[in-house]
Amino acid sequence: MKRKLNYVNYLVLLVASAFFIFPIIAAAEFSLRANGATTHNFSNFQWAIQQDGFKTNLGVSFRLAILTAVAVLVLMVPTIVYLHLGGARWKRLIEFICLVPLVVPVISFALGVATAFPVFLQSTVYELSFLYVIISMPYTYRALDVGLSSIPLLTLVEASRASGASMRQTLLFVIVPTIRSAVNGAIFLAVALSLGEFTLAVILHWDTFPTWIANISQGHILAAIALSVLSLVGAWLVVLVFAILPKSFRTNKTQEAAA
Amino acid sequence: MSQVVATRTGTRKGAGPRPYKSRVGSLKSLLPLLPFLAFVGYFLVFPLVFIVRDAFLGNDGKFTLDNFVECFKGVYGHSFYVSIRLSMISALIGAVAGSLIAGAIVKTGSRTRKAIAATASVLANTGGVPLAFMFMAAFGTEGLVTKSLKALGWNLYAGSFTMFSATGIILVYCFFQIPLMVLIYSPALENVKPELREANDSLGGTRFSYFTRIAVPLLFPAFLSTSLLLFANSFSAYATARAMTAGTLPLMPLLIGNLVDGNVVANQEHLGHAMAVSMIGVSIIVMGIYLAVLRFSKVRS
Repeated sequence: MKRKLNYVNYLVLLVASAFFIFPIIAAAEFSLRANGATTHNFSNFQWAIQQDGFKTNLGVSFRLAILTAVAVLVLMVPTIVYLHLGGARWKRLIEFICLVPLVVPVISFALGVATAFPVFLQSTVYELSFLYVIISMPYTYRALDVGLSSIPLLTLVEASRASGASMRQTLLFVIVPTIRSAVNGAIFLAVALSLGEFTLAVILHWDTFPTWIANISQGHILAAIALSVLSLVGAWLVVLVFAILPKSFRTNKTQEAAA
Repeated sequence: MSQVVATRTGTRKGAGPRPYKSRVGSLKSLLPLLPFLAFVGYFLVFPLVFIVRDAFLGNDGKFTLDNFVECFKGVYGHSFYVSIRLSMISALIGAVAGSLIAGAIVKTGSRTRKAIAATASVLANTGGVPLAFMFMAAFGTEGLVTKSLKALGWNLYAGSFTMFSATGIILVYCFFQIPLMVLIYSPALENVKPELREANDSLGGTRFSYFTRIAVPLLFPAFLSTSLLLFANSFSAYATARAMTAGTLPLMPLLIGNLVDGNVVANQEHLGHAMAVSMIGVSIIVMGIYLAVLRFSKVRS
């Protein structure tokens, strides 16, 4: 439903694009500076990537992201499926619980975790994953809930159960594939959140990729800017590919991969 | 997952409404939710209860209200004002600019819209630290934006502007507030069907009457509730401010961060907890208004 844009709309879009694109270009230019802004090359990027911290911290962040995504699915999918099947009376309660992280500022939550958790839990960086599950709940709940509302869940479950599948098989091989796009959305949200999260990591004294960028900025600001540009553009490209690629193309690909 | 399997009969039974079900049966239907409740109980409720309890404890471990008295005094009391004012301004700018942009992009083609939505979600979600440094590169004294504006005759640094002031922070917050507004507000805007416009025109309405009688009443609840969400978002934002100012601006999250990092006098841990609880309090008030607005209106964003 393409509608006609008037000149005010064009003006708004123009100003907005300038406001968002120009600083990104400016930052990119800045990150390419070398020898006191006399020449431009990739030396800042090279320097940053060669640091020891680059690989380890990026690795930590990616492992956290994967663990968070898995934990979100294992915890949320069965719970929300149950809410749609037999546990409808608890839906309001669970919905409310899932909104709580939106109300609690992350710094307050982080402080609570730092004081409340016993030492053995705080001895591994992967504790962050469980906390990321909590703070991503408002978004992942919504994504999965919308996905499950749009399919004939009860019919699918009955058909699957009548054909002799166990509840677990039904969940894994019937429900999850049917709500694949919602599951993808939830995974994407959890991954994006855990890759960019800063507050919890800092307050609990862990090093992840974002805190590492903040750390090296104190000695080498150009490298920090280079890494920032890198991570923003990288995230943007990934999301853009997912959003713009036609759906049929994507499903064909996954079918091929499965075959 | 195993819980769902174990109680599948319970799942079956609860499929229909059973008003006369016994209390025990009702509790039984809670069973499959146990893993979720246990997880939330431990990782969310437990820390929150703990921090509220700690906020009321003195250094000697006895109950006291001193922490709260302290946190409304001096720089800490001032930080309430600074934080709330900054969040209000950035929410207002984000809401107005974001709704204008959303209004323009709902009219574009679906592919453009998807690209903009994807960009907005990156900026709104992965912001934080990268945004802070990007902003410093662009608007710093040596940045390209500053230089270009100077070439156009506007010296950013002629006045009292610095990147690390409240103005600078508001400016950089715009980079995630506006995209967030676009993301959340666009669906509400798409609810305003072109038919309403046609109905208005065919009934002899003017552009003005369309705006005042249809668009504003229909969109105001969504606009207000999203603005409150933006407020909460910038109120609790920590990463950007911390990466940029290293704690020089008296914002509540920054002060809390300093208190627990031990940058200031020791033995002020509980003051940090009281500040954190106060932040939750402010946030609850704002989100309470948000939920009330949401319930009052039928427009769900």
